[in-house]
Amino acid sequence: MATEERTQELMKVLYDAVINMDEDTARDISQAILSEGIDAFYAVNNGLAAAMERVGELYANSEYFVPELLLCSDALYAGLEVLRPHIKVSETSTKKQIIIGTVEGDIHDIGKNLVKIMFEAASWTVHDLGRDVNLQKFVDEQKRTQSDIVAMSALMTTSMLAMPKAIEMLRAEDRDVAVMLGGAPLTREIATSYGADGYAENAGEAVKEANEMLERLKKQRG
Amino acid sequence: MRHDRMTPAERLNALLNGEPVDRVPFLSFILGFCAKNVGYPVVSIYSDPVKSLWAQVWTREQYGYDSEPFYGYASYGGWEFGGEIKLPDGEYEQAPSHGRFAVETEADIEKLILPDVSQDGMLPLAMQFSHLQVENGFYPSVVVGGPFTIAGNICVVDTLCRWLIKKPELVHRLLRLATDHVLDITRHWIDTFGTGKVNIQIWEPLATNQIISPRLFEKFVLPYQIELHEKLLAMGIKYILCHICGEHNSNLPYWAQVPMGDSGIVSVGREIDIGTAIEYFGDDYIIAGNIEPAILQTGTPLQIYELCRQAIEAGKHAPRGYALMQGCEVPVNTPPYNLYTMKKAIDNFGWYE
Repeated sequence: MATEERTQELMKVLYDAVINMDEDTARDISQAILSEGIDAFYAVNNGLAAAMERVGELYANSEYFVPELLLCSDALYAGLEVLRPHIKVSETSTKKQIIIGTVEGDIHDIGKNLVKIMFEAASWTVHDLGRDVNLQKFVDEQKRTQSDIVAMSALMTTSMLAMPKAIEMLRAEDRDVAVMLGGAPLTREIATSYGADGYAENAGEAVKEANEMLERLKKQRG
Repeated sequence: MRHDRMTPAERLNALLNGEPVDRVPFLSFILGFCAKNVGYPVVSIYSDPVKSLWAQVWTREQYGYDSEPFYGYASYGGWEFGGEIKLPDGEYEQAPSHGRFAVETEADIEKLILPDVSQDGMLPLAMQFSHLQVENGFYPSVVVGGPFTIAGNICVVDTLCRWLIKKPELVHRLLRLATDHVLDITRHWIDTFGTGKVNIQIWEPLATNQIISPRLFEKFVLPYQIELHEKLLAMGIKYILCHICGEHNSNLPYWAQVPMGDSGIVSVGREIDIGTAIEYFGDDYIIAGNIEPAILQTGTPLQIYELCRQAIEAGKHAPRGYALMQGCEVPVNTPPYNLYTMKKAIDNFGWYE
């Protein structure tokens, strides 16, 4: 069983492996973490998720860009692949859920994929509907999963017009569903005018915005 | 509406030659909107050169902009290099999009060959369109992405991004092919229509800092962009209209090294302030921009009028000239009056007395 000092040493190596886009080290260290009896959930939170939070900061500060974020996420997933099967179910029972997809008519998904990575790193359960998602699918998936948030992305000025329609369809089924929007042609003002509850300017801020949005809605609804 | 003292052709010619113009020229990045405007399906802009040309000619007549009809789309290169594209057919689609990429794995790169510019992909339609341009008194034009954008149309963008750091040699291979392909197309157009008679637009949306760092721009985008532009100009292309799409502020010192011709046009979006564009390019090139398409679609006429006023006043006295232009393609569902508002702003603020 690893000592506290050894545990922190391994957390640092795991953390650095993600920051440094080192998939192999992330995988190897995750194996070492398990073999030394360290709790997998602890490692995911304090090694992998903590690193991705830092990656998100680097991205928001324009020190890391899309290539770096993708490679960091590859290291994250390499570690998660090893650690996730060893996480006890009870530790995950309170996970928040988010549905995410690029709206109908739009095949651009790189931004959506980056946001998905950040939410998974923050231990949310992500229901990824993909791209060019028929609007009814958002409604059906929300009925199925009762997620905390439905998040939609659009990169085109034509496809962004699908968003207010999708929000109307979602609210017709569930008045209180929380909706967050993102994508290059959008602004917070446009998102609000469409009926959304939140807006994320980039992947680095998405999780923070989601949590703040849910907090805000909880207070408003008493 | 004030009456112009020059025809669009006279105004464009004067702008390009550094001669006085009557008013700020109005260039439009406009395709799918034209189809809807005249009652054609949006897809006809890309699938039917005759309908495409006339939709653009009539819309130009109606709204009074100076730029000439053209044929092109942002995902160009995917089909030509062996992938598949999907033409727009849904309510929320405005341009061809990727169906399947030619390159998804390393092994796919080895299979790539330069397209046959006389028959591959959309090139036959583009050539048909160019013949129609000439028949109707317009310059034939080649409108394609820059090498990096074309590379991102050949190869899945996520993969391209990873290779930038992990397998740079593969990215260089794609950039080499993309650069050579644009030169092949241009050569073919020049052979068909004559030296000095072909216009070129190069759009570069993928190299934005929303995707890659300035460091990667310098290493991968810049060398091929410079090479491409130098060779195009050496072929007798008089000027290049270079659309620098998106957030490129940190790339501007590099863009300033790319030759655009005499006088080239640098088109920018809302992310680049007109004053900043003048600082980097204004001594040598015409600046065009920077009205945000999303605001054209969702904004009020007053908001658009004010944005245009600010852009015109910032750019009007740029050393080599300025044209009011959208920062990217006019959305298909732009309220007609919003587009008209751009011309109205020029009439009120854009005259040179």
